[in-house]
Amino acid sequence: MLEQYGWSSPKDAVGRTLIDIAKKSDKICVLSSDVSKSVNIFEFGDCFPERYFEMGIAEQSTVSVAGGLAAEGFIPVYVALSIFSCCMTFPQIRQVCNNSLNVKIIGTHAGVDDGADGPGHHATEDLAISRVIPRLTVLCPSDENEVAAAVKAMVDTYGPVYMRVAREEQPVIHGPDCKFEIGKAEMLCDEGDNFAIVFEGSAMRQALEGWEGLRALGKRGKLVNIRSIKPLDEKLILNLADKVDLIVTVENHSIKGGLYSAICEAIANRECRAVIRPVGFHDQFMDAGASSDIKEKYGLNAASIIKQVTDAH
Amino acid sequence: MRKLGSSYDQLRKVALRNRIKILDMVYSASSGHLGGSFSACDIITYLGECEIDYRAPDRDRFILSKGHSVPALYAELNELGFIDDSELSTFRQVGSRLSGHTNRDKVPETEITTGLLGQGLSYGVGMALAKKLKKSKDTVYVMIGDGETHEGQVWEALMEAGHYKLDNLVLIIDRNGLCSHQLVEKVISIEPLRERLESFGWLVKEINGHSMEEIDSAITSLKAQYGKPKCIIAHTVKGKGVSFMENNGYWHRSIPTEEQYRAARKELLEQMGEE
Repeated sequence: MLEQYGWSSPKDAVGRTLIDIAKKSDKICVLSSDVSKSVNIFEFGDCFPERYFEMGIAEQSTVSVAGGLAAEGFIPVYVALSIFSCCMTFPQIRQVCNNSLNVKIIGTHAGVDDGADGPGHHATEDLAISRVIPRLTVLCPSDENEVAAAVKAMVDTYGPVYMRVAREEQPVIHGPDCKFEIGKAEMLCDEGDNFAIVFEGSAMRQALEGWEGLRALGKRGKLVNIRSIKPLDEKLILNLADKVDLIVTVENHSIKGGLYSAICEAIANRECRAVIRPVGFHDQFMDAGASSDIKEKYGLNAASIIKQVTDAH
Repeated sequence: MRKLGSSYDQLRKVALRNRIKILDMVYSASSGHLGGSFSACDIITYLGECEIDYRAPDRDRFILSKGHSVPALYAELNELGFIDDSELSTFRQVGSRLSGHTNRDKVPETEITTGLLGQGLSYGVGMALAKKLKKSKDTVYVMIGDGETHEGQVWEALMEAGHYKLDNLVLIIDRNGLCSHQLVEKVISIEPLRERLESFGWLVKEINGHSMEEIDSAITSLKAQYGKPKCIIAHTVKGKGVSFMENNGYWHRSIPTEEQYRAARKELLEQMGEE
């Protein structure tokens, strides 16, 4: 399935995109907390040593140091695994936002993408804790080319941003000229009104596999890449909720507080046609293992998506 | 900039005036922190009067990480003309610019919104790194409380400043000896503080944080030294200036009665030579 696409790890786009941007802007700085090899940003340090700050295994201070750099007019980008850059730094990110500072935080290995390190390293709550912070933009691009476009959009937009990025290989469905607009979802396919699949970027593979499976069963629906959790493309979501019978959200995240919650919140105060069903992780800590195996075992897979749709019809 | 020349008596007078404003702000709001504002007042007054040119867009920075002592900073910013007299009585009220902790959005001269203790020194590290990148000669001052050193993030930032040899960073520790209401040493010991800081790569000076002469001498001499971040351990008295508040943890955030308010104001006015 999906053999028509090339495959790559989306996180690999982060470092080289930042290098491209830094060639044109002397305001870009990158901060690392001792995971520069895992997140592929050590080359930035080779290219721009004076604008690359290795802060050690000190995530909380790193976020606040980024705040200080931003207060002096720089555009600091802190890159680490999302369990570190986001999940360990809630009060610090909140304070950056309370200061309205132009700090960019990237969390790689989204969801269970650092699967083998076990539940301590699974970042399945980052969307829940980030999207509730006032002023913070929360992005979730999918493949390598979209991640590159999202990094550029993030840097071009003033204000604090958190972006989660997959490590597990994703099909490259976007071209290198991909455009990314913050707050706008992407309608990838529109073939009918039986259902809609709405996915966040690091669950794209499973969403596409579910989509293909449903097509094979003769179901006709819509496929939406949400791209931006906050601001959410409420116009598109409300429109979708009026048109289709069922919306299935697909996320590499807990179904509490993430994409499913955001979409439920967007439509809950009005009557609409669609029922909303979640595919994602339930309220639990999970096994260590290959991320694809964890997704399979705990139900983030095509079968769960197909079941949600076929159960409803 | 040295607005008042070297007149330490004038500086002492401004600091006393600021203490009266602090007392008035907290009393009229029925909310706020007198003890820590009084202990920090002389240093904040000195920095405002003698070091920081708040009218310059690129300037020395002063981050008040112990943001609950912000009445002392508001008082000095009023002295410098950034906060109107009439605004002082709006402290801690809905709709006021004068929040209970520093707020960068509302009063940009407070530089960084703080209040969640432990984060301010890291902002100072970021600003000091930025000043170096810009090849600026500016200095970044950060004030933390002695109890604030219980926060682990402070030690992350101390390590980072030492590693990057941030000689444009001056940390001032308001060593008034009291946490919210108990002795710091009784809560969790922070001694030997000086040796700990020196082992993290810092140049350290200990002074009486209420002596304008010692504050001036420490800042002037530290600015002339290079290669390491600098720390002033300022030995202070929580509640300094009002006899019944001094060294008494009760006054961390208690509000005086009308009688206590009048007595405190009278003491401060007497020290200024006014009745």
